[in-house]
This record gives sequence, C-alpha cells and structure tokens, in this order.
Amino acid sequence: MSTITAGTHVHDHAHHGSVGHFFSTYVFSRDHKIIGLQFLFSTLFWFFIGGMLALGVRWQLAWPWSPMPILGNLLYKTEGGQIAPEAYTMLFTMHATVMIFMVIIPILAGAFGNFLIPLMIGAEDMAFPTLNMLSYWFMWPAFLCFGGSFFVAGGAGSSGWTVYPPLSLTAGSGQTLWLIGLTCVGVSSMMGSVNYLTTIIQMRAPGMTMFRLPMTIWAMFITAVLQAFALPVLTAAGFMQLSDRLLGTGFFIPEGWSAVNSVRAAGGGQPLLWQHLFWFYSHPAVYIMILPAMGMVSDMIACFARKPLFGYKPMVYSIAGIAGLGFIVWGHHMFVSGMNPVLGMTFMVATMLIALPSAIKVFNWLGTIWGGKIQFTTPMLFAMSFVSMFIIGGLSGIFMAATPIDIFIHDTYFIVAHFHYVLFSGTAMAVMGAIYFWFPKMFGRMMNDSWGKVHFLLTFVFLNCVFFPMHILGMVGFPRRLADPYHYETFRHLQPLNQFISICAICMVASQSIFVVNFFYSIFFGPKAGRNPWHANSLEWMAPSPPGHGNFDFQPVVYRGPYEYGSPEVDIDYYPQTMPPPENKPPQPAPAH
Amino acid sequence: MKLFSTTYCVMVVGVAAALAGCGRPAPPTFRLDMTKIVANQIIPKHQQAIADILGAMFGTPDEPYALPETGLDVRKLKMAAGPVWSDQVGGKHGLYRRQCAHCHGINGDGRGPTAMILNPYPRDYRSGVFKFKTTYNPNQPSDDDLRTILHNGIPGTAMPSFAVYPPDDVDALQEYVKYLSMRGQMENSLINYVRDELNFNPVTGEGDDLDPAKNEDQRKAIKSMLTDDVVAGWKAANENVIRPEDSKLPSADRPAKEIAASAEKGRELFYGTKANCLKCHGPTALGDGQQDDYDNWSKATKKFEDETTALSASIKTLMESMASQQGDELEASRNDLKAKRKELAEREEVIAQLLPPRNAIPRNLREGVFRGGRRPWDIFHRVNQGIAGTPMPGTGPASAGAQGTLSEEEMWNIVDYVRSVAFEPASRPQMKPIEMDAIVK
Amino acid sequence: MNRFWSLVFLMVPVCGVATFVVAPYFQIWFPHDISEHGRVIDQLFMFILWLTGIIFIVTEGALVYFTWKYDGRTNPEPAKFSHGSHTLEVVWTILPAVTLLFIAIYQMNAWADAKMRKPNVPITAEVTGRQFNWDVRYPGPDGELYTPDDIIRTDGQVHLPANEEVLLVIKAADVLHSFFLPNIRMKQDVVPGMEQYMWFKARETGEFDIVCAELCGWGHYKMKGRVTFESREDFDKWLKQKSDEQNAMTIAQTKAE
Repeated sequence: MSTITAGTHVHDHAHHGSVGHFFSTYVFSRDHKIIGLQFLFSTLFWFFIGGMLALGVRWQLAWPWSPMPILGNLLYKTEGGQIAPEAYTMLFTMHATVMIFMVIIPILAGAFGNFLIPLMIGAEDMAFPTLNMLSYWFMWPAFLCFGGSFFVAGGAGSSGWTVYPPLSLTAGSGQTLWLIGLTCVGVSSMMGSVNYLTTIIQMRAPGMTMFRLPMTIWAMFITAVLQAFALPVLTAAGFMQLSDRLLGTGFFIPEGWSAVNSVRAAGGGQPLLWQHLFWFYSHPAVYIMILPAMGMVSDMIACFARKPLFGYKPMVYSIAGIAGLGFIVWGHHMFVSGMNPVLGMTFMVATMLIALPSAIKVFNWLGTIWGGKIQFTTPMLFAMSFVSMFIIGGLSGIFMAATPIDIFIHDTYFIVAHFHYVLFSGTAMAVMGAIYFWFPKMFGRMMNDSWGKVHFLLTFVFLNCVFFPMHILGMVGFPRRLADPYHYETFRHLQPLNQFISICAICMVASQSIFVVNFFYSIFFGPKAGRNPWHANSLEWMAPSPPGHGNFDFQPVVYRGPYEYGSPEVDIDYYPQTMPPPENKPPQPAPAH
Repeated sequence: MKLFSTTYCVMVVGVAAALAGCGRPAPPTFRLDMTKIVANQIIPKHQQAIADILGAMFGTPDEPYALPETGLDVRKLKMAAGPVWSDQVGGKHGLYRRQCAHCHGINGDGRGPTAMILNPYPRDYRSGVFKFKTTYNPNQPSDDDLRTILHNGIPGTAMPSFAVYPPDDVDALQEYVKYLSMRGQMENSLINYVRDELNFNPVTGEGDDLDPAKNEDQRKAIKSMLTDDVVAGWKAANENVIRPEDSKLPSADRPAKEIAASAEKGRELFYGTKANCLKCHGPTALGDGQQDDYDNWSKATKKFEDETTALSASIKTLMESMASQQGDELEASRNDLKAKRKELAEREEVIAQLLPPRNAIPRNLREGVFRGGRRPWDIFHRVNQGIAGTPMPGTGPASAGAQGTLSEEEMWNIVDYVRSVAFEPASRPQMKPIEMDAIVK
Repeated sequence: MNRFWSLVFLMVPVCGVATFVVAPYFQIWFPHDISEHGRVIDQLFMFILWLTGIIFIVTEGALVYFTWKYDGRTNPEPAKFSHGSHTLEVVWTILPAVTLLFIAIYQMNAWADAKMRKPNVPITAEVTGRQFNWDVRYPGPDGELYTPDDIIRTDGQVHLPANEEVLLVIKAADVLHSFFLPNIRMKQDVVPGMEQYMWFKARETGEFDIVCAELCGWGHYKMKGRVTFESREDFDKWLKQKSDEQNAMTIAQTKAE
C-alpha cells in the first residue's frame, strides 16, 4: 500500500537489498519511527475518506435529494444520483466512525505517540517493540472491517457512531463488521497504551525526571492511562452487543421487543445500559482525542514564543485533572436519554468543573505568548489557532453542561458545532501544525513554509465559516442526522445558511490539496533540515534528522526541563535539555514556579 | 518554491479536468419489468418497442405524460414527478422522489434502495393491486381509499402518515401513484399481447414488428388495452365502493353490553369452521396459525425462482443425455443447450435484483394494530372482501350481487370480536379443544 | 505581512460576535416560544451566552493583543524569562471555579421543574414513536387510558389543550426516538421498554412541529409530526369528533378531512 512504499523511499539510506530484510525493516518493522509513519500515512488516507463522507453529508444538507455531482453518478446511479436516506445515515455514521476511530485516535496516539515518545524521553525505542508492531497491524483488521462494510448487503453501519441499540441491533451485517472493527481498534489502542506507559515510566534518559518531560509526553502518558482504564469497558460492551446480534442474548433488548415486524425477542435487557457503557469509554475518549493535541500545542507555542511554558506544573496537573474528572462526566451525553434526572444534576456539576482545568490551560498558553518573541511560522499559526478555536469549543461546552439548556440543544447542530470546534478546529489543526513542526525530524526535510501559511489561512477561514454558523443553527433547534430537515416548517428558512456552510466545506476540503502536495513534494524535494531547524530544546531535536535505528548517536543526558527558551544563562535564545550547564554553575533542578 | 507551484498547478488542472469529465448524472428512466420479460422470453426488439410505446403513452420519470383517456391530471403529475426542486413562486416539484421513491422506487416497483431493509416490503404498484380499500377484492381502490392510506399511513409498517403535508401535495402523490400503477398495468398488458399475438423466436431474436404507428390493428389493440383493461378498472373503482346494508349496521352508540354480546358471537365465528379465522390467525389470535403462505408479490418472485431452478436442473439433464447423442440429434441438443443457458443467465441476472420472497405472516390481532385502520368500518371491509394480493380471504360477496360465506350481521360480530380481542386475556380457554393440525392441513 | 496574522486572529472575535448580532435579523434565532418554562430556558441560555461571550472576547482579545505586541520581528524587548506565576494560577483557578459552580447551581431549579417535579394531573395522552410516525392515544369518554374506548390516531397529529398543564406519557414501539417540541423547548428520548413523562403548559394556540431528535433509522428525517394547541373547549370537541369517527359505521366519515 501507499503507506509502505512511501516509507521505503524516505528511509532508503538504511536499505540492504534482500526481500526478507525489506519486510522486516519497512513493513513488519519494530522501529517505533517506522510504525509511527505507518500510522501517519494510514490515518491521513482515512482522513481523506472521512472528508469525502463529510462532503456527501454537506451536499445532502444543502441541496437535499438533488443529484450529487461526480460521486452520485458512481454510487447512486439507479436513483438518478440522489443520496437515498439510508445512504445518508450511512454517510454520517461512517464519517464519524472513520474520523474518530481511524483518524484522530490513531494519528495522535499511534502516529505522534509512537514517533515522539522514545525520541522525546531519550530512549532508543519503545519498551515492547513487537507489541508496538502488533498495535499497528491490529489496525488493519479494523481498516478491512470498516472499509469492507461499505460493500456488504445493506451497506456499512448506519446507526450513528454511537450505535445505540435497539436500532443497531436491527441493522444489517455491516453493523457486525463495524463492531468487530471497533474491537480491533480497541485492542490496538490497548497495546499502544500499555507500551507508552511502560516506556515513559521505565526508559527515560538519565536526568529526565518526570517533571522534565515535555508536555507532549505528559499528555501521551495521561492519554495512555485513560485508554488503559476506559477501553476495557467499551470492548466488553462491544462484545455484549455482538452477542446480542449473533448469539441471541438480550443485554440491550427490552422485554418483548420487536422492530420492523421481527419476531418478538425474549429480551429483558435495557437499551440505556449500552449508553452508559458506551459513554463511560467515549467520554474519556473525547479527552484521548484532545489531550495529546494540547501537549503538542504547548511544545510548539513555547518553542515559537521563544519563552518558557507558563506554569508547567499547573499544566500537568490540569491535564491530570481533566483525565480524572473525565471519568465521572459521561452522563452529560444522556441528560434527556431517560436516565434518572437526579443523576443529571450530579453529572452537570462534574461537567461544569471539567471546564476548569481547560480554562487553566488556555490562560497558561496565553501567559506563554505574553512577553515572548513570537515567530509566525506555520506550526505556530496552527498552534495559536488551536488555542483560539479551543476557547470557542470550550465555552460552547458550558451551554451543553447546563442541563435545562441541554434539553433544548441536545442533538441539535449546537452539539455538532461544539465537537467540531474541539475535534476539527482543535485537534485536527493541532495535528496539522504538528506535522509541519516534526516533519523535518520525520523525513529530514522541511515543508514549504509559504504554502503552509496559505494552507493555514484558507483552512482557518473556511473552517470558521463552516462551523461557527452551526451554533446559530443549533439555537433554532436544527437537529442532527436529518436527511431532509426542510420538511419541518421550523427549519425551512435555514437552507440558504446550510448552502453557505456546504460551499465553505467544499472549499475547505479543496484547500487541503495544498497540504497534500506540500507534504509529498517536501518528502522528496524539500530543503534538507539539520538536526534542530526550529532551535528547540527537547531531546528529539538532538538526534539526527531523520534519526537512524536506535535514535541517538550519543547517550543523551538531561540537565533541565524542555522549556528553557531565552534563558539568561546562555547566549543563544534556547537551551537544549542535553546541553551541559556552564562550568561555574551547578545544574538547575527541574523548573519551579 | 517555483517547482512546488508548478507541481501544484499541474495537479489542480488535472483534477479539475477529471471532474469535468464526470459531469452530472443522467436522469433516471423507467425500466421494464424484467421478471415478466424474461419469463416470457420477449426478444430485445419487442422490449424496445414496448418501452417506446410506454414512453409515448406515459413519458419519463422527469417528464410524465398522460393520455386524456386515462383521466389523469398532468398538472398534478408534473408536481409529483422529476427531480426535487422548488420554483421561484414556491411551486413544488419532485414530491414523489422526495417522499416515496426511496422505498417504492422510481418505477413504482416497490424496489427502491431502502426496500430491502423493510418488512413488509413496499408495495409494487405495477400490478394495480392494492390491499386496503373499500372496493371488491379484485378491483382497483377508489380515490378515497388511496387518500385514506396517505392520510393515516399504515400502522405496523414503514408507511408513514402524510397528513401533515399540504393537501395539494398529497393529491399530487395520489395521482402519481395511479399513474405509475396504470403504466405498470399497461406494460403487463403489452407483454401479454406480444406473448399471445405476435410471432417471435427467442433464440434468433427475430419476430413480427410491433409498431402501432404503422399497423392499424396493433394501434386499435393497444388503445383497447388502455381503455378496457387499465383505465376502466380505475374509473369503475369509485362506483364500486361496497356499502354495507344500512339495516344490518350496528348503531354507533350501542350499550357496552350489546357490543359484548356481539363480540361473543364473533368469537364463536372466529373459532368456527365457517369463517375459520383461526386457521391463520391462530388459536389465540396471536397470528400464530399458518405462517408459510406467500402474498402475490412474493409468490411471483418465488415462481420465477422455482422456474429458474427447474431450468438449471433441465440443463443438467440435457448435458447428461448429450453424452450418448450423436449427429443431428447432438446438434439439436447443442442449440437447445445454448438457448437454455442464455435464458438461465438472463434469469439469474433478474433474480439478483429481486427481493427475496417472504412468508405472509397473519396479523397478530392482540396488538390492536390494524394496518388498514382500526375503525369498525375498516375492519368490516377487511372481513368482507379480504385483503387483495394476500392469503386473507373475504367472507362477503366477491362481486356485486354474489353470495358471501357470512351474512353482514355475522361479519359485524367478527368486527366486534376483533376490536375487543386486544383487551381479552390470552389465557381465556377455547370453546372446545382445537386440533390445529387438522385445520391447517 | 507584519501584523497580518494578528488581524487574522482578530477576525475570530469580531466575526464571532457579529454572527450572533446579525442572526436575529435573519430570523435565525430561537423558534417562537409558547411555553411557560421555555422562557426560563431561553433566559438561562442568554445568561450563559453573555457570560461566555465576554470571556470569549477577553481571551481572544488577549491572544490578538499578545500576537500584535510580541511579534518577534517588531518587539525589541528580549523574551521575558518567566516560568509562571503562582498568584496568577491561583486567581485563574478560583475565579472560573466559582463561576462554573454558580452556573451549575443556578440551573438546578429549572432542571427540576422540567424533569423532576411531575405535576399531579391526569395523563392527557400517550404518544408512541414508531419507525417512522408518532401515534397518539387519548383516553376515551371514560377518561382512562388503555380501555377499549381509547382514541387512537396514527396520522402524526397531536392535539393538546393550551393554557393548562399537560402531562404526556411517551413511549417507543421499536427503537429509540426523541420527542422534541422546539416551540415548547422540550425534548425527551423515548426508550423501548420504558415509560417517560413530559409535562408543560402552552401559552398559545396554534400548530407547531414535532421533531424526532434521536436517530431512529433511515427514515428518521421523515418522522415529522404536528402538534395543535387549542382551547379546552375546542380540544374536547375535537376529541368527541374523533371518538365518533372512530366508531363510525357509515361511509360518510371515511372521507379525509
């Protein structure tokens, strides 16, 4: 696949010729960098698929039932190119599924976690390289299940990404594949998280205390904890639903239940149980999808503000706080689900409180750029846009946390706006910034900065045009997941606004072509980057670009934290973690505040 | 930087060119009923002629047309047909494709993209058979019947109510359903005409011309098909509405006692041999009697599948017998084999498009959900004329002036029983021990 | 290009606020509220909108100001070598914490009114969601549900009395649905096997949309209903008419209205 061939070109300096060697080095590699790149290429491929699915959704919302250009001809020819309603439900279900389980989670933990953790802590590889390799190859059954489900009778999963039973129990075999795929993603993440925890705890370079770790690593560490504790619940729930579908159990089937005139089921279960189990994982998963991005943004902002990170320890504590509180707020997805309303109150308080660590992080990022000497490079722009967009995404969360307001805005476009501000404008933008930032380390070459800025500008403008008006749509009560909302008199006047959103969405996806070309062009023809093109402090920048097998060509010894930019102790405006302190001064302890 | 810009420009131009090549999808067209075409081995030339004649009489899904004889309102059809859009003054178009096509299909063949996941399957309008109506079993439904279904939906199925839409929209849809139905019936008549009246050879693909423009006899025959076979039934429907005799009508404000007594009589009939309701609806009215029958639509599919199985078996036998054949005999068998294989291939192609046949499951009367409506009036009609196209027989007269199995009074008793059965405990003992096996067989 | 990026980031608060200012003029705002407690929910929304709006402007403003002032190319000062401030951390932990807790507690009464304090009135109707229709069951002349004289409607039209407390029991026949009345600001998921209650008091008569707000299958979008609020007299009259129609024995009443 493209993943593998692209990887081979990049690393052809380590090439020895025999076929067996080729496979063990580039395909079934145990090197964390190759695995990270495998994750990166796979997820970027799925990012494209997910984006296309989103455009299908947007087409239908802007011009319902009108023939979709190009793809309509291929996919829905017999119906004159119009998206049928069950195809629409499939589109948004698979858009969410692909984006969450095959793009955001694996690109953060899989691609960046793998690539960066050993490099940033000064290790030569992960603690369990084979397990690491398996964590990538367990994604492939998931890729095949999700991808293949489009081609089975009845199509891919179409019960929403939350697969609420009993609807999901009535769905076709695509839904079974969906659940199996989800389990494989879970196994993959689980193997990854065990590995990350062990590596970060055990394999840090001499002098690398926990409070000298870069924020990226802290975020990855806490993400791994979240995964390790929350995933078993989802995996168990997935198996329960599989057994309801295949073995005739009734965990989620109420007594005497039937749908579409099926035979009545014995049942005795409870559909709400699934929602509890699902959100017990999927709410922490929301933080799995944002914490690593926060970590990477902290690193980028400190580097390009040329200033130490403001409040390193509060930043660490707030990440831990988010993770801890993240386990007791899942009920806010279920305020109107029929759950006991008394529980709604406690979940509301917990949910309100989780806004607190997020606020602390925003203030600290602002504190970091205050008084700095900001370099407006492409990664910095993406990182600052993360902060700017995360403010919107965080504040809109308060509306939803307030239970009475949630009665009205639940399952409307207000929710869609909120999580796209966090996941796309937040995480995806941070990921793009991170790609620009660590690209030199990954491939030894720089990406084009001017085109990067054009890409940033277009993406930034269009994403706000797409997602900001959705708040207003939500205020009108415009519901999610409707193939034709203009049935309802209440929403008929919203069609022009939706058309505007869709046009901007098409432009936004089109402007990603700049990124694609820049990315592949730079792999082959970008200017060579030295070891430390950004003059950053953390350990990965001390290794060669790209690092060879074993990462470092010297034994890194760490003398200080990663954010000593502009330190008065040295003449240059950065102070690498491995740089020994001047003779006359003792090594500084980890930075206090 | 320069090389980069060049690469980017080349890519953008290339993608734009590729997109321009694909363009917009072609408008959908009516497709012929291949089950009938293949079953009757209609040759391609005649298929084309049938499609042309239908096109001339009924137009296309985007541009519908109706001959004055049909009595259809073209203005309404235009509102229902075509792609979905609203013109500048707010006039609506494409209502059928917006509301109906994903289940009932562009052709009205009940095979839209969602059909597969529905139970029961959406109705195939092309045979002109509708289940819930106030006319005699073999007749077409009246306008009111269609409107009632659109208004109330069909509880217990995926057919929703359209009562919340403007009456004009619903009228247009109703007209379009009639249009699709007439078109389908006409297609059926044409296929039968070709089969019965024209000479053709399915193997060589040659045959008589079917060209009403040139052939006066054919023109007349087709005209009479339209007016006599198709339109007459629809025109007569509004006059053929069954009206129960006023003298037998139970009064609307009967005391509860009287209803209970009537229901008790109905119960006796339900379990009796004369009405024999329990054969299908089961000894407890749970719909658990005979469950292995099919409705007409599934029966047709099943017949087609069985014929195909028989055909492939006959190919096998033929090949076995060919082993011992020689000379002209062998040559004849070879030609035969070739023709049969061609037909088998065509049949298999059609089967891939068909919805798998499903058993007609008798209604569970204890749910209190009645697809054709739950008013006494509705249930009376189900009991009286049965449900067209399904194993549910009528107990009333089959046509005007005929004699039914039950008297109207008895039918009203059954109506009262059916209405009360949802409130009757299922454990209530039967009249007498019932031997289900004897009844079902 | 100097300052350009500050201006780009400045567009976020400017356009963001502008969107909320302009939207009402295009009628893209809350749907017309006809309920008693809807006002409370709208007020809470506006309260949080103002509060978060101010925080939004201040934080985004700070971001823009810092990018403007501390641009590496124009800022002559060396970077401030600071690892943070303990006082500031305490301030910006306690202030938001107090605010957030206040918001949470401030909401509780409205939540309890909407979902916990079920009024002690007889059930007006039972609404059942099924794929893809809302079916309604009214108690018949005997005033009790689940008796043979119940009035059952399957045409997706719900009639309810205005200006009095209405108590609905809502159910699902097959999968999850959500009974959403945008003009009443009420929403409740219905779960097969469970009974949910919903209560409200409409202040106006008229026809409004019922929206299904929980994915219930391919036809989710077409699960449209209409609720008609009318005066008690009209409602009783309507009930009587439907009850008669349901027991109709003659063809005169089979015509659709």
